[in-house]
Amino acid sequence: MSIQADTSILNRVDGSATLKSGETEIIVSVSGPIEAKPRQELPTTSALDIIIRPDIGISTTREKLLEDKLRQVLTPVIIGILYPRQLIQITIQVLQSGEDKEYTSKELSTIINATYLALIDSNIGLKVSFAAESFAISTDDEIITAPSRSQLKSSKSSHIVSYEISNGKATKLLFSDSIGTFSENQIYQILDLAATKVEETHQIFRKTIQDKIEKDFIWQL
Amino acid sequence: MAKGIEVSINEKSFVFDALKQGIRLDGRKLEDFRNVDITLGDEYGYVDVRLGKTRVVARISAEISTPFEDRPFEGLFTVSTEISPMASAMFENQRQSDDELLISRAIEKAVRRSGALDLESLCIIAGSKCWSIRADVHFLDYDGGFIDASCIAVMTGLQHFRKNDITVSGEQIVIHSVEEREPVELSVLHVPICVTFAFFNPEGVEENIKGESNNEIYIVDTTLEEDLLKDGVLTVAVNKNREVCQISKAGGLPMDALTLMDCGRKAYDIAVELTNQIKKLLEADYKRRNEGIQYKLRAENDRITVE
Amino acid sequence: MSTLIIPGDSIPINQKSEQLIGPGLHIDLNTKEIIPINSGLLQNGNKSIHIESNSKRYIPQTNDYVIGTVTGSFGDIFRVSLSNFSSSVSLSAMAFPNASKKNRPNLKVGSLIYARVSNADPIVDIEIECIDPTTGKDGGFGLLEDGFVFDVNLAFARNLLFDANHPILKLLVQKCKFEIAIGLNGKIWIKTDDLKYTLACSKSIQNCQSVTSTRFKEIINTVFKELGL
Repeated sequence: MSIQADTSILNRVDGSATLKSGETEIIVSVSGPIEAKPRQELPTTSALDIIIRPDIGISTTREKLLEDKLRQVLTPVIIGILYPRQLIQITIQVLQSGEDKEYTSKELSTIINATYLALIDSNIGLKVSFAAESFAISTDDEIITAPSRSQLKSSKSSHIVSYEISNGKATKLLFSDSIGTFSENQIYQILDLAATKVEETHQIFRKTIQDKIEKDFIWQL
Repeated sequence: MAKGIEVSINEKSFVFDALKQGIRLDGRKLEDFRNVDITLGDEYGYVDVRLGKTRVVARISAEISTPFEDRPFEGLFTVSTEISPMASAMFENQRQSDDELLISRAIEKAVRRSGALDLESLCIIAGSKCWSIRADVHFLDYDGGFIDASCIAVMTGLQHFRKNDITVSGEQIVIHSVEEREPVELSVLHVPICVTFAFFNPEGVEENIKGESNNEIYIVDTTLEEDLLKDGVLTVAVNKNREVCQISKAGGLPMDALTLMDCGRKAYDIAVELTNQIKKLLEADYKRRNEGIQYKLRAENDRITVE
Repeated sequence: MSTLIIPGDSIPINQKSEQLIGPGLHIDLNTKEIIPINSGLLQNGNKSIHIESNSKRYIPQTNDYVIGTVTGSFGDIFRVSLSNFSSSVSLSAMAFPNASKKNRPNLKVGSLIYARVSNADPIVDIEIECIDPTTGKDGGFGLLEDGFVFDVNLAFARNLLFDANHPILKLLVQKCKFEIAIGLNGKIWIKTDDLKYTLACSKSIQNCQSVTSTRFKEIINTVFKELGL
């Protein structure tokens, strides 16, 4: 599967990234720490405002659910205490969903990855790196990594797994979400497989970040 | 003025002084439109428009729906223009500011109310089934010119989009997939192009009302910096048949009738140029797509060579 | 020595000598470990260690030199915006040389000022002052009149301010004479005798952000040529 990533593409926000992974294309912007509205303000930590916008149509409960899941991933990773009373605003625009509306796994895994790159670009303090991958189990019990639209449609279940990454190694399970019917054994298989897959993805991201830093400090050369 | 962006006195007087000398900060002449960079996606109806640093993506989609009761012979066409904080933190999510409302209204008037899309051609079965066409405009980056850029994006998208072919037998509708039958294009009647002018009076707005020294300056296609300082704005939508689709001027500096004529003429020149650019792009895209098809359909295939 | 560091990496801390921990590093409250929180180039010196990274959003730190725009005044305090959408900071009318209840500085809404961050505790309001605390004189701070202000990346602004012999400034000096104030919040104010020169200088500095230092001269020459100077 092809992954194309780029950072610092937008001018009016503090951090941005676009990620094309297979059929799915996402663009993420991060503004922050900026002034929070009084109702958002938290006394000791930063407030997190996440907005996900679909490629076609207006946002529905599906996007709200995705926003909530992304918040679960980001809250333990962003060091909020560095920016008390401030707001971190993350806007996600789906450009190409790459899956039918009934599914969310491909979109969410790409969103998690793209948000990671946008947060790095915005220079907001992160405890650790992270990456995610989507999986599906086909009707003949085969595990498919990063399924295509048609593979997902004919699958029994779909999964998203995200790991924390330290020194290039997947260390701690950050988030996992599964929909469909599957056995306990299968989920463990997926968790093991995911660890190696996210490490591979992380290698690509490391290269993207390296390129970004080189571009940032080009005037030093 | 937008909340959160502070413009200092120094910047303001600098921009005004420069305009008096006919200089704009980005090096353009006063009447220059920025270069428009349009990219078409692999999917039909996906258009990415870059106007300087401004970036807008339009997605056109179609589904089958029921027509309005009072208009049984017409299909539906909606343009969704919600600006997210991605473009700039000055835009709040789910809450339209006045600026945002004006942008939406201008696009709505230029594209939908000017009858650019033939709604009657979208009718399938009068009174019960019709196509519903939806244009979603995603604003990604903001450096002024949202109205102009999104108008280009939507109009290019409508011309690029292909809806699935259908067969009607009685009350039954069969939708054919792209693989099965070549999808059909929408019937676009004309291509309105919006051009926005901004007015400045370096001597102060009061001078204009007195009417003694009308030294106002007008410029085409403002950047955000110029946008924040402008005293008045005028949007003209015109197509290449010299038909004016809308003129919108919501308050601001009073202007001379002759200046209005002048702006109209300038807008026409820009519209012709842009319409041609869009046409060329669509032709190139059509050619690229059909090359593949011709290859698939050509008579000499493997079967002939194999005995 | 500079290597790429991203969050999650472990950093080589010299156990024997005492090192000051700088930007980009953070002590985890639970594990008491020193972790990198930004991605950038690790600068590991004898006395200090920090990560050099670039960003667009300014977070105030004590003793930083900044350029701000006055957004309002409440009693004896001016509200100043250091960057768009960030919380505004406060500037006391008393934080000027020779200031008294009667002798108030004349700042209007929209005035540009060059100041020093005097208190940057994120829990309370951040304060700036237009006075050199060691001498009680203005020390170059205060109202910036005329000229033009523009934005650059924060890392670039830092580099430009701390390097007095910066090649860009050396090259610009050959073109015209100018006054410059560099704020660590990524704002640069520049003033020359002529509007065109001011514009040329600001464009030159902005364009030099995205090229290697070997091309500075070429970029500056093209910018000046385009404006007919």
